[in-house]
Amino acid sequence: MRLPKGLIVATVLLFAIVTQITLFGQIRIIAPDLVMLVVILLALTRIRPELVLGTAFLSGLVVDLLGSSLLGLRAIVFATVAYIALRTKERAEIGQFAVALWVGILTLIGVVLLVLIGTLFGQTSLLGPNVARLILVVPLANLLLGGLLGPVFVRVVDGDTTAFRFS
Amino acid sequence: MVNREPRGHTLPLLVTLIILGVLLMTFDVRLQGGGVVGVLRTGTQTIIAPVQQAASYAVNPVADMIDSLSNLSNLREENIILRRELAEAEASLVGVRDQLARLEHFEQLYRMEAAGDEIGRTVANVIGRPDAFDAALIIDKGTSDGLVVGQPVVDTNGHVVGTVKSVTRGSATIVPITADRQALTVIVGDQIGSLLSQVATDEMRLEILTAREPVLVGDEVLTSAVSASFPAGLPVGVVIEDAVPSNDVLSTKVDLFVNPDTLRLVVVLAWPPDPITASSGETLLPGGTSTTTTTIEGDGS
Repeated sequence: MRLPKGLIVATVLLFAIVTQITLFGQIRIIAPDLVMLVVILLALTRIRPELVLGTAFLSGLVVDLLGSSLLGLRAIVFATVAYIALRTKERAEIGQFAVALWVGILTLIGVVLLVLIGTLFGQTSLLGPNVARLILVVPLANLLLGGLLGPVFVRVVDGDTTAFRFS
Repeated sequence: MVNREPRGHTLPLLVTLIILGVLLMTFDVRLQGGGVVGVLRTGTQTIIAPVQQAASYAVNPVADMIDSLSNLSNLREENIILRRELAEAEASLVGVRDQLARLEHFEQLYRMEAAGDEIGRTVANVIGRPDAFDAALIIDKGTSDGLVVGQPVVDTNGHVVGTVKSVTRGSATIVPITADRQALTVIVGDQIGSLLSQVATDEMRLEILTAREPVLVGDEVLTSAVSASFPAGLPVGVVIEDAVPSNDVLSTKVDLFVNPDTLRLVVVLAWPPDPITASSGETLLPGGTSTTTTTIEGDGS
């Protein structure tokens, strides 16, 4: 029996949010953005693009609501990143390394957007003492995780064991 | 190669979502985190809190282990420093006990009683942070422990950390002073100034607009009695740059005593003693119930 895609995506997103807040909230040297990673990887699945955008926006809203920054900031960033991911996903479909690189670049775009839009709206706390390090570390961590987990994630969500198997 | 195939309604949808996001941000700025946004925030945190607390039980040992391994060399140095400080503290404790005994003796002699200005303290564990770019801390105590929005938070040494931004029944979000958009009113010597966060550094900027005398390296920065958010006399940091007044204005840098990134335990102060003045009231428990773990005498004003 196959589980509905919506349930799988919701479970993965909840897991990503909780892991982000608890585990990676305490280990500051390893700093992926799991929610952004899931949002990017959703673009590789067969889920309708409109649903991917909506899910990205809602995921961003939840992260905003759990934190102290402006409501809507991450929602805009995640939706934009998801849109770019949908428009460029063919680049990732050529191999596992390409998936990793694609995820890394999109995350870099995401964190730069986050800092830029946040600063425009007076969120100077985003420009903390580690901002330069984080702008590099977060995409690198997502790049590694994206390369490792991306193909598996697509297979699980789409229920297709042959998807993203590169020879 | 960018995919230029038509993708249904993705672009109009993206534009709509961006407009919606900007509207939400504008509302949040205008409402200053309160109103509908505050209710939404509290609601979401209430839903996530049980899962988060359950996860933190499993995650904390792993996080501690990784943290310890990555800071092994620092921990050894810290251990040596702490042993030295402990020896000094034990020596001064003997003196303090003697003074307390004398104080008690004089209080009995003159039939004095406590003024009733004790500040309740709630010790809480830091169980998470929203993400790498958000400096807020999530703690495992909430309204059921007597926490209210706006209460000051210090570390276990009494150094200023920040304030409670939002609170649910079992958790609360703390915004450190380094991430707060509002300046903190402080006192250096007898001069009152404002402490402001700076971009890309954990140092803060001290500005005194009615400066009469210079501020020197090593001068301690304390919370002021003028501050609406903190009781007076809490240590915040030290001045790290000499500065002299120019046209009655003085500006210098302050190194904080607390690094919010490394905090595992914090203490929430039940201040002001009357919580109605600290909050709009929506986060209060029915009947204003307050549960605190310890009670100490403070110098709150």
